[in-house]
Amino acid sequence: MTPEPTNQSEMETEPEHGEGAAARLEDVARLTEATLAYLDLDDLLAELLHRVTEILHADTAAVLLVEDDGRTLAARAAKGLEEEVERGFRLPIGRGFAGRVAARREPVVIPDLDNSTITVVNPLMREKNVRSLLGVPLIVEGTLIGVLHVGSLTQRDFSEADVQLLQLVADRVGLSIERSRLAVQGQIAQTLQRSLLPRRLPRLPGLSMAAWYIPAAEETAVGGDWYDVIELGHRRLGLTIGDVAGHGMAAATYMGMLRSAVRAYALDIASPAEVLSKVARFADAEHSRMATMIYATINLDTWAVDWARAGHPFPLLISPKHPPRFLTDVGGPPLGAGAGVDYEEQRVTLGPAETLLLYTDGLIERRGRTLSDGEAALTEAAVAAPDEPELMCRSVIQQLTEDISVPDDIAVLALRAVGLHDTLKAEVPANAEQLATVRHLIRRWVTANGGTDDDCSSFAIAVTEACANAVEHAYGPGDAAMDLTADVEDGVATVTIRDRGAWREPRGGNRGRGIPVMREFMDDVAIDTGEGGTTVRLSRRIGGEE
Amino acid sequence: MTPELAKLSFETTGDVELARVAGEVDASNVEDLTRRLLEAVSNDTQALVLDLTQTSYIDSSGISLIFDAAARMKNRRQQLRLVVTPESFVSEVLAAVSMSDSVPIDPELEAALRAVD
Repeated sequence: MTPEPTNQSEMETEPEHGEGAAARLEDVARLTEATLAYLDLDDLLAELLHRVTEILHADTAAVLLVEDDGRTLAARAAKGLEEEVERGFRLPIGRGFAGRVAARREPVVIPDLDNSTITVVNPLMREKNVRSLLGVPLIVEGTLIGVLHVGSLTQRDFSEADVQLLQLVADRVGLSIERSRLAVQGQIAQTLQRSLLPRRLPRLPGLSMAAWYIPAAEETAVGGDWYDVIELGHRRLGLTIGDVAGHGMAAATYMGMLRSAVRAYALDIASPAEVLSKVARFADAEHSRMATMIYATINLDTWAVDWARAGHPFPLLISPKHPPRFLTDVGGPPLGAGAGVDYEEQRVTLGPAETLLLYTDGLIERRGRTLSDGEAALTEAAVAAPDEPELMCRSVIQQLTEDISVPDDIAVLALRAVGLHDTLKAEVPANAEQLATVRHLIRRWVTANGGTDDDCSSFAIAVTEACANAVEHAYGPGDAAMDLTADVEDGVATVTIRDRGAWREPRGGNRGRGIPVMREFMDDVAIDTGEGGTTVRLSRRIGGEE
Repeated sequence: MTPELAKLSFETTGDVELARVAGEVDASNVEDLTRRLLEAVSNDTQALVLDLTQTSYIDSSGISLIFDAAARMKNRRQQLRLVVTPESFVSEVLAAVSMSDSVPIDPELEAALRAVD
């Protein structure tokens, strides 16, 4: 509280000028203390108002912010006038004391409300008998965002030094409010962005897939990267990775639009180049920001990947047979470049144990490093990374973001074909649609391990029967899977299919022919029904001449 | 698009319906094939010839289809004949369940058409 009401003349002619300046410096230090930045906005405002009332020996202090309509001020924080915030006090810009400060966009001093032309609108200030007021505008980058004012219950004249000090607090408050608003927007953008990424990736017999998304370290930098997986039916899958220029809400929103456009066209159009050309026309019509992307389709039986590229970083093919290589043979400008081009497409067929790595530029672009150095670093990281897609994504990101705070979003997607030599392990969704893919897979495995055409057909039908039985009997509708393992020992191939459902006896009538068919084509069929599910073990000597 | 697993085509000659199944028949498409096959058989149809010479894969689900169709047609006093290339994979599968005991199998289309004439 103000021990002795001072008047303006006393304040301006402080006797010990040096001491006053030192004290003022200390005051400034209290108001600009760096650690305050760690408080959340409400705590920061409360603390600043507390300190400013102490320093200025004021009885009240309040922050009012301009509402979205741009015409109204609403109480946001108060000291000595706490009810103002609780009651949701509002007043139009131009009216009352705070309204006057906002309208003038400059400090306003009222030494004595009783002798002032300004009428106080706020009933609380009248109730409390506030006598003198000092108000300053909150201006951030030329825009008025609110008003900060202090008041005294006893009459006093606020000095020029008081005005300056309060303006200092106002600048501090303005920046904190703006930063907090941006952070909230950043969080919304991040939430929106995440909600548009697939929650999980499909399980595919013979192919495994993983994706990682890392938001930029600064929340406000989040926004434009995405990846998507589209189930196209007929054992085909669509795959997208993309990057919208810019950050924040606008980028995240546009990303959502592009994602939907790709999905819509992909369901109708088989050719990735054609899909991309349509999406480019959509992007041009939107007159929105630039974006880069790759759209690819995968044939789940043959592992053929058809892909088209719009200005996006090159896919990386990682093979056990040769060093990693960037697929550079398809070009095309980014979306939104207004070029109206028709994109081209290429096919790359994944061999056994090969991985296709798609990523956004945040993974390889670093300030002060050339793009080719970035690509070289990625190649190196890919070689050092484990084969398993999930681990590969994590390892590559880790290696490439070591020691830096991630400046941009990063999305990475890895698609790997299983190895076919010796042991084969695959997860098979309990879904009849996938049976043909399982047949393809097992044929390829039998061939790779020295089996004849006859061996291929025999395992194809026996494995299909075993899987179909599990699909039909073991599970209800839903997303269940079986484990398939294949091994060769001394020329005898054994395929094991293990489900985790309850075994039911095949029903009568025309059903129940699966087991005799399996026996017909295999040397040995063992069905083991246990608590945790059913295991079917199919064996046959392969590559023989009998 | 990747072609469907199996293509089903029809040819009607008088009161004989010829249906060709090209591709693979398994649990994923058998219901659809059965429905379309039975829709094509009208009350006036005297015989259905099911040509499986272009069928590259069939398993117990396809066998069920044939048995179902055979039973239904028998009730309507209609004939069903199959055309299967000898020593093919399909013929092996059908032999495994002794299909020829229930449904006559011809090695060539002409033979089947002559038989139902």
